[in-house]
Amino acid sequence: MTRAAAGVPRCAPRGKRGAVATSGFAYHRPTTLREAWRLLAEHPGAALLAGGTDLLVRIRARELQPSAVVSLRSIPELAGAAAERGGGLRLGAATPVADLLRRATVVRRYPLLAQALRVMASPQIRNVATLGGNLCNASPCADTAPPLLAYEARVELRSARGRRELPLEEFFRGPGTTARRASEILTAVRLPAPPPGARVLFHKQRRVHLDLALASVAVLLRLQGTTCRRARLAAGSVGPTPLRLRAVERFLEGRILTEEVAVEAGRLAATAVSPITDLRSTADWRRRIVEVRVRRALVELAGLERAGGAP
Amino acid sequence: MTARRHIGKATPRPDGPDKAAGRALYIHDLARPGMLYGKVKFSEHAHARIRSIDTAAAERVRGVRAVLTARNTPELRFGFLRDNLVLKRDKVRQFRDEVAAVAAVDPEAAAEAVDRIRVEYEPLAGVFTPEEALRDGAPLVHEADPQGRPRRDNRVPLRFHHESGDLAAAERASRHVVEGTFSTPRIQQGCMGTAGCIAEFDRRGHLTIWAKTQIPFLAQRDFTRFLADLGLGERDVRVIVPTLGGAFGSGLDTHAYEYLAILLAWKAGRAVKIVYTREEEFACLSPRQCTVTRIAQGCDAEGRLTFRRVDVLQDNGAYTSWGATYPSVMMVPVTSLYRVPAVHFDAQIVYTNNTYCQAMRGYGNPEVNWAIESNLDDLAHAAGIDPLEVRLRNCNEPGEVTPMGLKVGTCGLRECLERTAARLDWPARRAGPSKPVAGVGTGKRRGLGLASLCHVGGSGRIYRSDASGVVLRLDDFGFVHAHYGGVEMGQGLHSVLTLAVAEALGVRPEKVIVGPTDTAHCPWDVGTHASRGAFMACTAVLRAADELRRRIFELARAAYPAEAEAALARHRRRDPEYRPPDFDVAEAARSGTFELQDGFLFLREAPPEPWLRVELARFLRAVHFREGGEMLSAESFVDPPTQLPDFERGFGNLSAAYAYGTQGAEVEVDEETGEVRVLRLVAVHDVGAVLNPQTLAGQMYGALAQGLGYALYEEVLSERGRILNPDFRDYKLPTAHELGMPIELEFVEPDEPAGPFGAKGVGESGLVPTAPAIANAIHDAVGVRLYDLPLRPERVLEALRKRRV
Repeated sequence: MTRAAAGVPRCAPRGKRGAVATSGFAYHRPTTLREAWRLLAEHPGAALLAGGTDLLVRIRARELQPSAVVSLRSIPELAGAAAERGGGLRLGAATPVADLLRRATVVRRYPLLAQALRVMASPQIRNVATLGGNLCNASPCADTAPPLLAYEARVELRSARGRRELPLEEFFRGPGTTARRASEILTAVRLPAPPPGARVLFHKQRRVHLDLALASVAVLLRLQGTTCRRARLAAGSVGPTPLRLRAVERFLEGRILTEEVAVEAGRLAATAVSPITDLRSTADWRRRIVEVRVRRALVELAGLERAGGAP
Repeated sequence: MTARRHIGKATPRPDGPDKAAGRALYIHDLARPGMLYGKVKFSEHAHARIRSIDTAAAERVRGVRAVLTARNTPELRFGFLRDNLVLKRDKVRQFRDEVAAVAAVDPEAAAEAVDRIRVEYEPLAGVFTPEEALRDGAPLVHEADPQGRPRRDNRVPLRFHHESGDLAAAERASRHVVEGTFSTPRIQQGCMGTAGCIAEFDRRGHLTIWAKTQIPFLAQRDFTRFLADLGLGERDVRVIVPTLGGAFGSGLDTHAYEYLAILLAWKAGRAVKIVYTREEEFACLSPRQCTVTRIAQGCDAEGRLTFRRVDVLQDNGAYTSWGATYPSVMMVPVTSLYRVPAVHFDAQIVYTNNTYCQAMRGYGNPEVNWAIESNLDDLAHAAGIDPLEVRLRNCNEPGEVTPMGLKVGTCGLRECLERTAARLDWPARRAGPSKPVAGVGTGKRRGLGLASLCHVGGSGRIYRSDASGVVLRLDDFGFVHAHYGGVEMGQGLHSVLTLAVAEALGVRPEKVIVGPTDTAHCPWDVGTHASRGAFMACTAVLRAADELRRRIFELARAAYPAEAEAALARHRRRDPEYRPPDFDVAEAARSGTFELQDGFLFLREAPPEPWLRVELARFLRAVHFREGGEMLSAESFVDPPTQLPDFERGFGNLSAAYAYGTQGAEVEVDEETGEVRVLRLVAVHDVGAVLNPQTLAGQMYGALAQGLGYALYEEVLSERGRILNPDFRDYKLPTAHELGMPIELEFVEPDEPAGPFGAKGVGESGLVPTAPAIANAIHDAVGVRLYDLPLRPERVLEALRKRRV
């Protein structure tokens, strides 16, 4: 179904001079990917709409003036979650955040992602905002990115010409830019099976409860006794893209987790990020938050605070 | 005095159900037939000459009906000092300056047209802090005053000054002196309902304007003058105030957008509506002033205050609003919070190329309270005396006259301090050093702090008249219609107005209907500000109700017996066996004392027979529907016994009563990140008698939320005059989550003789001392003094780092 509508309603032509109409955009709501690809080809510069919580704000602020908007909200294969062979999970890119939070597979098996989704925006926004939209918007502060990086998620991109898959880490190219080509649609996020027995913690540093992350940290640990067998860490809002903290992971894996190790990991994390000063916070403070929050997460996940006095 | 039946009882507010159900009509909901939508073109520079304005493309947009610039409009001035122009002619002085306005058949066409207006500017050097603006040779924001006389500097020509006692001697004689410089940010009123109006002329050329205002009658005066300036001669202006989604001081002035709506409506011959978007509300409506306060206070060895010196530098922005007169209220706490024998106060208000500022709840008091109460804690530490003890030793007392000449009636400050301290378990908790909090990460310490306030509590005369009036009209059904010129803006005015009418007249609250605020129907009122709404409304109601009762009882002498007989007859039809007591109704009505209670008229001496209690509605119909019939109404107009102070000398009894209060906070400070968590808030306020506990609690919770926002989160950020965070994404108000801590409210209720039912005004008090109470608790926890609001974690961490050096 394609329906041309005015995003900005056009008023009745009754002006005496009536030379210039208000600008608007054509709105299309395809029901198949094939149709969506065709529309993208026909309308170079068309904007893709999933939840619209970022796109419509930018159009209203006139930061974007697309000639056409192609909605992905009525394409069945972009919605929902499905178990994959090997214990993984495939999440449709246009699935709303609130929908994901209602799925036991997401909440139980990927608790780090669920922790991040729960503190993302407001309930009203979570009802419409989608996972794929959050990733394609490519904000360094995207709440879904750090946990997905920690789970080593991959993204699936499809166009009329074919299908390709990238690690999420390679998808982000800079603030607001991704590896997605104009002809492609992000169709799914694929999560590998979660490491058994993983302990996780997501921390979002906010000014008030309803806020964008000033800095965020996602930590996933698998311990054997007190030895760290696997560490996956990622951080948001502290670099041009969400960052995977590989240096910290390498440092932790194989080590016995002690207070000293946690302190050192925090320091390493702080050197691995490259925050900026903007109106929300300072580079210096963001770096401090990464250091403190990584250390505290490790202390908490390893149960070190019970061993008498924390670092 | 008989026991009160309604005043003092928790009663749901009458406007609650419609607001909760989304049925209340705000300016955003209103429309007029054929209405056009107006939109303003704002400046793109903080300071620039206007070279040219090209509106040709805008005029060609389909649906556009009027485009205005200074080129096709006479020069029209407005504002407190008339230093602002409705449309800017030669230059712009701030980013939000209005350079053009458009009216079109829908908002989109208006927005499109505004986008197509091309303005050529010649940028000028600007001044963006008061310090910069005061430098020799600084660029002038205004080259001439409104009369065309050249100006030599950027000082706003308003003087506020106070000297009392021998300051130099007191300073020399002080055992301890502590100085500090404290700053407060620009903050936004944060109304849920953005600003807006609809202006419409009828065919006779009279104007009706639906305006989001707190001053319908001063606005009426402004608009009337404006129409005369426009060359329209004498026109009637009717101001109607729709339901307001908050105002908090933003409605104390008339605004350029209102004048533009009027101009567009005149030009287009149609009603014109202008409503600000949230971004416009942030970027183009005036916020609270930012200030820098230098303070010094001294005390003797026992901690008794010897002197207080306060100098305020206030960034006015490019134009002057009523809010520029904050220092008129700053004087109240500076001279009169705690007993100080020698006081110096001076305020310098300075033009800059920043957004111009206006009133906000508290009106200067939170700004100086931040300095006074933070600095007083430091003085206590310097003297080695507990901060609570210092405050008690200098506590204000009932009946005192302060250095400013404020005549304190009742004063419950001592009790506020004591009860706050008791709730915080102050003596025990403050005895030892603050204890680190065990748990994850550690680095967290807890502390306690408190701070007090005094504020006008019996209206406040800042205008030639400080009056309010009410009309009470009784209909044939026993309903009382109240028409009051003040504004319900969410604070609960209609709730106390309802209870006051019910109490004072003797009817059920359900039978009281508060009419809309409309200059065509309501008596004159100076405005709803200075915590005066409830105080003045109830005072006016008491007087009008008294007159109504007098008239009802007068008429009852002749009319009551027949109604009682009729009631007896009805009673007998229901109960034929009934034998009435031996009671001469006619005789009792001639000589007895009438009473009206819960809508029933009866004689005090009468036996408690139900038929002797005559329904007010029946009685009213009886005196109406007869030869020479009469309908009852009463109007009162009250100008309270307040003085317009001499602000240049800083002397005068501004208010008829004074409100006090103390707030306490317990905080947890994360020494590693600078984050501050408020664990608990205690607010004990002297409010006089409580009118409606439910509404009062609402006022206090709301004020504490704003106080918390002022303390920790809120700031309008700007860079060379451009506002950087014109949205809730980056202007952070506390959410329900930040207010999740226990908040304990208590009220000290002295029976204030100047107040209606013994009450004082409380609209503003609740947000005044919150920030210093929190900052003092931070100091208690981690030993650092913070000077600049808001107490963002970055700032706290910075202070903690300096402490270690």
